[in-house]
Amino acid sequence: MSVEQTVEGAQMPAHRKDTRPGIDWRGRALDRAPFLVACLMLALIVAIYGSLQSGVFTLDELNLDTAAAMTLMLAATGQTIVLVRGGIDLSIGGMISLGTVIAATRFTDDPSTTAFWALTILALGFLIGALNGLLISLLKLQPFLVTLATWSILNGVAMIILPTDGGSVPGWWVGFASAQLLGLTSPVWMLLALLLFWWWFRATRVGITIQASGSNEKSAFLSGVSITRVNIVTYGLSGLFAAGAALFLITQTGAGSPTIGKDYILPSVAAAVIGGVSLFGGRGHLAGTLIGALVLTLIGNLVFVLHVSSYWQPVASGVILLLSVLASSVAEKAARSRVQ
Amino acid sequence: MDLVTVNGLSKRYGGIVALSEAAFGARAGEVHALLGENGAGKSTFIQILSGAVQHDGGTILVDGQDYRPANPDAAQARGIAAVFQELSLIPDLSVEQNIWFRHEPRTWLGIVNRAEMRRKTLALLEKYDFPALRPEQELRRLTLAERQIVEIAKGLAKDPRILILDEATSALPAREAEWLLKLTRQLAAEGRLVIFISHRMAEVRAIADRLTIFRNGSTVAAHEAAAVSDDEIVTQMIGRHLDRLYPERVPTMTDRVALKVANLASGSRLSGVDFSLREGEVLGVGGLQGHGQRELFQALFGATKASGAIELWGRPAAIGNPRQALTGKDGIALVPEDRRGQGLLLTKSVRENLTLSVIKRFTENGLLSRQKEAALVKEMVDFLRIKAGTPEQLAGTLSGGNQQKVIFGKMLLTQARVLLLYDPTRGVDVGTKGEIFQLMRDLAAKGYAILFHSSDMPELVHVADRVLVMRNGRIAATLEGDHISEEEILRAAMLETRAA
Repeated sequence: MSVEQTVEGAQMPAHRKDTRPGIDWRGRALDRAPFLVACLMLALIVAIYGSLQSGVFTLDELNLDTAAAMTLMLAATGQTIVLVRGGIDLSIGGMISLGTVIAATRFTDDPSTTAFWALTILALGFLIGALNGLLISLLKLQPFLVTLATWSILNGVAMIILPTDGGSVPGWWVGFASAQLLGLTSPVWMLLALLLFWWWFRATRVGITIQASGSNEKSAFLSGVSITRVNIVTYGLSGLFAAGAALFLITQTGAGSPTIGKDYILPSVAAAVIGGVSLFGGRGHLAGTLIGALVLTLIGNLVFVLHVSSYWQPVASGVILLLSVLASSVAEKAARSRVQ
Repeated sequence: MDLVTVNGLSKRYGGIVALSEAAFGARAGEVHALLGENGAGKSTFIQILSGAVQHDGGTILVDGQDYRPANPDAAQARGIAAVFQELSLIPDLSVEQNIWFRHEPRTWLGIVNRAEMRRKTLALLEKYDFPALRPEQELRRLTLAERQIVEIAKGLAKDPRILILDEATSALPAREAEWLLKLTRQLAAEGRLVIFISHRMAEVRAIADRLTIFRNGSTVAAHEAAAVSDDEIVTQMIGRHLDRLYPERVPTMTDRVALKVANLASGSRLSGVDFSLREGEVLGVGGLQGHGQRELFQALFGATKASGAIELWGRPAAIGNPRQALTGKDGIALVPEDRRGQGLLLTKSVRENLTLSVIKRFTENGLLSRQKEAALVKEMVDFLRIKAGTPEQLAGTLSGGNQQKVIFGKMLLTQARVLLLYDPTRGVDVGTKGEIFQLMRDLAAKGYAILFHSSDMPELVHVADRVLVMRNGRIAATLEGDHISEEEILRAAMLETRAA
């Protein structure tokens, strides 16, 4: 008697087709725990801020805070794509600096010249990022090292173009950040546009492929993914968003700075991590990152209204980062113990 | 005319010849089995066919046209899809996203059409009568067996003319394995060619029309399945007579109890388990898959929380985590289920894999003694006959059987004498299987106590001194002596026992 026949003939437990469990709500909640923690943090900070300062719950405040956070949001959008791919991009600091100095030295009152250079900066951002991706694939080097090197190179080039802070951009360019539509300023509309972009991006084959490559590169390769192409697109997009961050940043500063970009490197990673993006790739959403960026920005406001030294801001940011990492790790453990 | 014709195929990896002079021919509408020991070149051969690696020499003709895919995409474009043993799935994507990965139906702006994807998924699962899968579930929440089923669905989603199944049944429980065999016949009846790799002779017998045998990177023979005996096949696979797959079972157990477990429980999968494992004994753990075997091993090793009492060599043991469990001569060592994920660091060398968890043994005054380490590594490589160029060869580049030997070595170096072997022969070739069984008996004779689970029932029947049969997280029966047979195991596993 063969094993197969015995199994066929015997009384088996009900076929598994009939035992579909319902939606795993708890599992889903645990998956989103880091994001929920970030939302909670934002709510808490806004509550404290609102209790210390009047006029926090107004459109004006929303407009102001979004404008203050937008540079970081743009930089962190690119960083999120790279992190979901399972990499990291330090070169955005160099790209942001380079973008501001090119703009500050090339933009003129003539809109067509300015538009030309703005597009050039964006194209440069994509190309330099694409080069990062190509180098990572071809040389099989760590993204950390490659982008550290390009950061240094871009930083140097920015210094050569404009050794000290200065230059200028036309008034109408600066005015862009306060332009209003339906009571909301352009940064708020940009924020919505970023969310829309992400919703679209994550539903495309390119977006899914980038996520898949971060989740398990070998499996992605065996499924026919060209890892080189994925890296070129991923880092290219990151460079593109860094260039966008530079173009927005000069609406806030009105001048170029060859050193300002470094202030966005680690915060862009921190914003993503606070928002629940995994540093190991494959997992994370832009909504979390944007909330993370808002949290980091509002900490600054809070330090200001508390009338304590501004040096407390990085301390508070660090504590928040630690709390988020802790929350994700607890959730991860809970989720894992459920699977077994 | 043959659908696929291969001649003089060769492939080298550095100095190692993986394939030389391999030949192969298969027709549309047949199930063609590929047989050979691990390291015989089967994996390389199907990697070439599926476009994962490129051959150095020889020709492949598909439909009489030259075939040399640069990557898996190019292979798929010619209608060839592979279901890899080494799964090609993405943990963070859902089941349906995995099935249609890179072939998703799309709407405007390149957005994936979820409704259409769901419809196509359900249609596919329905058409081939797939076991239950939830299309929206994330892959990393699935068991190994469920993942294997998703991998099969992914291969079929491409509607291939040639489907390669690499050890696809080895991760499946009996019922699903049987489904896969039926599916394979159905695919052949649809006019597809199925290239089927399995180490289970019964499966090959059940479904293969023809078979090709590989040895040492070359083709040794091709047969009509009906025209060749098991003995001939095995002889051609290993190039000599395999006297006996199973070693003689000389009882070596003493009265000394090595491991005593009382009322062990863990979650909903394990409740009230009692048994004793004696010195020199091989104690089998059987039953239908998913009835608490995995949880039992994990609880004993301390990888999951459990309640109950455990005694090791007569002393109560608190087994909190694997590190504690590993300590010294009185400890427990485990050969885990998923050797690529849990057992081996694929990107580390054989030496590092062997010694990583026992690094203290080579440390003098806080410094590592390389000599001591090298001596122990050599001893272990020789003892287990691990086929590696040097101890510095990366574990990931070894064949499956040799990887399993490295895990055994790692376990033996801990000096623990209670060994937990969870399906140690899964995906291992016949020759190495025999070596592993012999090793188990040798270790038992030396006074080791071995708890042994296998998803292949004949292994339990022929190797274990006693067999515990598990059902619904409990021990349903303990079989001894002449009562150990496949029928008795199945009866205890599936039928309600009368209250004793």
